[in-house]
Amino acid sequence: MPVAGGRETAAQLWRLSRGHRLRLAATGVLGTVSTGADLIPPLAIGYLVDRVRAGTADPGTVLTATAVMAVAAVLGAAGTAVTIVLATRAYHAVLARLRERLVARAMALPQHLVERAGTGDLISRTSDDVTAVADAAPGVIPALTVTAFTIVVSLGGLAALELPYAAAFAVVLPVYVLAMRWYLRTGPAVYRDERAAMSARAQQILESQRGYDTVLGFGLAGQRHRAVMAASWAVVVRSLRARTVQSGLSARLNLGECLSLATVLVVGFVLIGQGTSTVGGATTATLLVLRLLGPVNELLFVIDTLQSALASLNRMVGMITTPVTRPGAGYGPTAAVRLRGITFRYDDGPPALDDVSIDIAPGQHVAVVGASGAGKSTLAAVVAGIHPPGAGTVTRPVRTAVITQEVHVFAGTLRDNLTLAAPQATDHDLLAALETTGTTGLLDLLPDGLDTLVGSGGHPLTDAQAQQIALTRLLLADPELAILDEATAEAGSAQAGPLDHAAGAALAGRTALTIAHRLSQARACDHIVVMDQGRITETGTHHDLIASGGTYAELWKAWQAGQPR
Amino acid sequence: MKRVTVPAMLFATVWQLGEAAVPVLMGLAIDRALATGDVGELVLWLGVLIVVYVALTTAARFALRLTAFAVQSLQHRLRGTLSTGVLHPADGAARAPDGGVVSVMTTDVARLANGVILTIMPIARVAAIGFIAVSLLTMDPVLGLVVLIGAPVAVWSMGVLSERLSRGTREYQGLLAATVGRATDLVAGYRVVKGLGVRAEAEATRRYRRASREALAGAERNAGLLGGFLVGSGVITGVFVATVMGLAGWFAVVGRLSIGELIAAVGLTQALLPQIESIANLSIPNLASARASAARIHEALPSSATPESGFFDAGPLPVLEVSGPGTTVRVEPGEFVGVLTDDRSAARLAGALLDPWAGDEVQVRLDGLPVRESSPAGYRSRVTVAPHRVTLFSGTIQDNLLSGTPGQAGAGPEGLTHAAVRAAACDDFVAGLDVPVGEGGNRLSGGQRQRIALARALASDAPVLVLHDPTTAVDPVTEHVIAGRLRDIRQGRSTLLIASTPALLSACDRVIGSAR
Repeated sequence: MPVAGGRETAAQLWRLSRGHRLRLAATGVLGTVSTGADLIPPLAIGYLVDRVRAGTADPGTVLTATAVMAVAAVLGAAGTAVTIVLATRAYHAVLARLRERLVARAMALPQHLVERAGTGDLISRTSDDVTAVADAAPGVIPALTVTAFTIVVSLGGLAALELPYAAAFAVVLPVYVLAMRWYLRTGPAVYRDERAAMSARAQQILESQRGYDTVLGFGLAGQRHRAVMAASWAVVVRSLRARTVQSGLSARLNLGECLSLATVLVVGFVLIGQGTSTVGGATTATLLVLRLLGPVNELLFVIDTLQSALASLNRMVGMITTPVTRPGAGYGPTAAVRLRGITFRYDDGPPALDDVSIDIAPGQHVAVVGASGAGKSTLAAVVAGIHPPGAGTVTRPVRTAVITQEVHVFAGTLRDNLTLAAPQATDHDLLAALETTGTTGLLDLLPDGLDTLVGSGGHPLTDAQAQQIALTRLLLADPELAILDEATAEAGSAQAGPLDHAAGAALAGRTALTIAHRLSQARACDHIVVMDQGRITETGTHHDLIASGGTYAELWKAWQAGQPR
Repeated sequence: MKRVTVPAMLFATVWQLGEAAVPVLMGLAIDRALATGDVGELVLWLGVLIVVYVALTTAARFALRLTAFAVQSLQHRLRGTLSTGVLHPADGAARAPDGGVVSVMTTDVARLANGVILTIMPIARVAAIGFIAVSLLTMDPVLGLVVLIGAPVAVWSMGVLSERLSRGTREYQGLLAATVGRATDLVAGYRVVKGLGVRAEAEATRRYRRASREALAGAERNAGLLGGFLVGSGVITGVFVATVMGLAGWFAVVGRLSIGELIAAVGLTQALLPQIESIANLSIPNLASARASAARIHEALPSSATPESGFFDAGPLPVLEVSGPGTTVRVEPGEFVGVLTDDRSAARLAGALLDPWAGDEVQVRLDGLPVRESSPAGYRSRVTVAPHRVTLFSGTIQDNLLSGTPGQAGAGPEGLTHAAVRAAACDDFVAGLDVPVGEGGNRLSGGQRQRIALARALASDAPVLVLHDPTTAVDPVTEHVIAGRLRDIRQGRSTLLIASTPALLSACDRVIGSAR
């Protein structure tokens, strides 16, 4: 999956910010003004110092200065708060739009692109990256608005007060720039390492937990313990390195602080000696520099959060800007399937399909039989339009549905799971469909019927139950062509019957292509295709193939010999 | 632990004292050097400033590193305890931990270990607060008292304000997590959605959008709460500091404070707030969450270890006998026995063989001796059970195959490994053994994972091997091939095959069919 460049991300964010731009501009103005209020206390103190030294101070001066400081504090706090609230809202609104487009695009992308990158990439972009950007908000927003404005305004204040003070601060600036460059060069890689080690550790723990039976059955406790502890130690080493980098940054920032304060003292000394500044002026400058140090440190510390949020944004935008090309061609007017001279290879591998031609008449059921690696699943994927063929033509009906071996129960109610492909279906429709596929027994087992929460965190379902739900969903989706790729593979013998019945009910009246796992499934079909090494080696009805005495006949003999009597 | 935490605390104290001393120093420098124009004084105070910074930087560096070391090594040790106590119990008979163990072993351990910082930083901060208090009191007792009473009150009121905010923040984080969870769930079911076509794509997108909007509304509510808190805390701090400055200014006007003391007092007041704030906002919540985590960790750990009892004295190739309601299965040395039964009984049988100490419906015997009365180690050294649910561990195919031969990692008999790979019909996709299988084996298909797991079981060369439905995800042609090869590789060993597939059962010496 592609990752967008900085410019592309900026352009996309600009587009997404439509409707919030005026608010953002207002935020900028308000932020600058309200941080300006922060300049008032140091100025008031400096003013007071000079009046005290001159002996012209009276209770009124003190009272005025105090009142001005208090009012400035209240106004500053209110302005700052509004700035942060406005910026936070705009940030989250843009992020929400971004993540919605991301998921929409993820769902619409051609499947072969996603399959090539792996769904893990998709998951990490829609979860880890979204979380990273959202979690960056509390640190990044104040830093980019208030903190940055504070620095600019304080420097402006210093310059207005006495230009040499600001110039002195500018002399120290390279120290900060160097610190930042060092940090950006060292920090991100170290943090990345730390996070990678942490997820590797979680993975090891998770594998031991999920594979508890395996650990028990094979007596692997000692070995798994060592693996977990090795992963744990890897985190220790990387975390210590990360903390070392942080303390390195602190040390560099301290150097900057020390130099800034020393410079203010020296400049103040010279200016007072020349008579161009007062002790009050030097006091104001000192207080300004002292209050500048916090924000500067904050900004530098937030830079790596900002960087990782930007990296996540680039990954999100990269997917949003991937063009969606829906294969327009290949749809036929009827429910028939027609493959002519199909050749397909994965990357540069040997042909997974080699000159395959098949015709499936409307309403006909065809089974594919063959060893693993024979190309059955590839054939199903090509018929479904998941993989565009390298050569040859595919014609299939528009409404095609596929059920793969991979069962997934969506987190939500049973109703949500069933209506995924039929949003308009009523409860009556759902119950009728469950009845047809013989799945009503499941309803009795669930505490709240259709309202039962299933999927991750919900009521646990067996693989066989999940597949019954998938078949019922297929029935509700009502496609013209249904492709079943080993849909009932996980079932043990006791479940095979009900699942075969459910599959039969779901496929009735449709064109169907079944990748047969059990030969009893193949026998139930109108037509059987036997594949070997990407080619079709035998084809015919069950009885034809038995009579011809080929591979299928042999398989059938072995299968029957093993059947329980 | 104390060898690390005590020095860390001392360094942290020096660091915090140094930070608190900086404003005082600046005030003194302005008073003594800038106001007088004395070059000697300027050089002196610049020197003091540099010395203080060098000291506080050095102290901070040691304090941070020692603290990190203490936290990390404690985490590592806690994890070791949990790993042997919960995740990989040595007696192998404990109840399987649930998914919560992952968050206990990562988040809770980290939170509890962070409690270590509590013995370091708050003490250093209290020392810094004490220093600021003494400095202010020596300058002017009244000013000192006002600050020392006012600052905690200010911080306390901010704490009250922040409570509502942190409740709102937790709420919002829950919503965001739900949205992200929904996206993950939808994307995990990507193939299902794509398989159902355009209508399902649109519906999935619509459902996600709904969750996303809820999270956005939560974020906006939370931003409002944040705004309220910022106004409140800003006003409290601002008014407090202004009051102290006004008071100090007044004392300067009436001559009770020098100019340098005025600047120092203002600086100290500003330095005091973050110190108290960090105790209130960091240390106290940290203590609470460390306590909660400690409770969860304690709960996860087994209350007492199962006592080891009895020495197992079965022969190297023992007779295995399993008897449950309505069934008795007996495997003689060197036999290959199949069991055909319904799913439920099969699962019960396999479960009892996996953990004979759990439940009492099914009785497992080795050479006629009930396994339940002996130690797990003896049983497990003779009987290896390959569960139906396949788990591969991250690493290469080789790592996974060797993991079946305990104590022989790295030195497994190479010939056997290859024979096992062949017998499990993995030769079509295993080009080399050093190919990584991905997290939990996710680079392999379901059928491939199952075959690698079978190869792992066969490579273990266990005296007694129990296989439970080892080929359910394998196509009939390949299953047929496996059935033909299983016998050879288990020659001279005992094997119990619990399966429902005829092709596989046809390889057995005899098949026991239990009542259905």
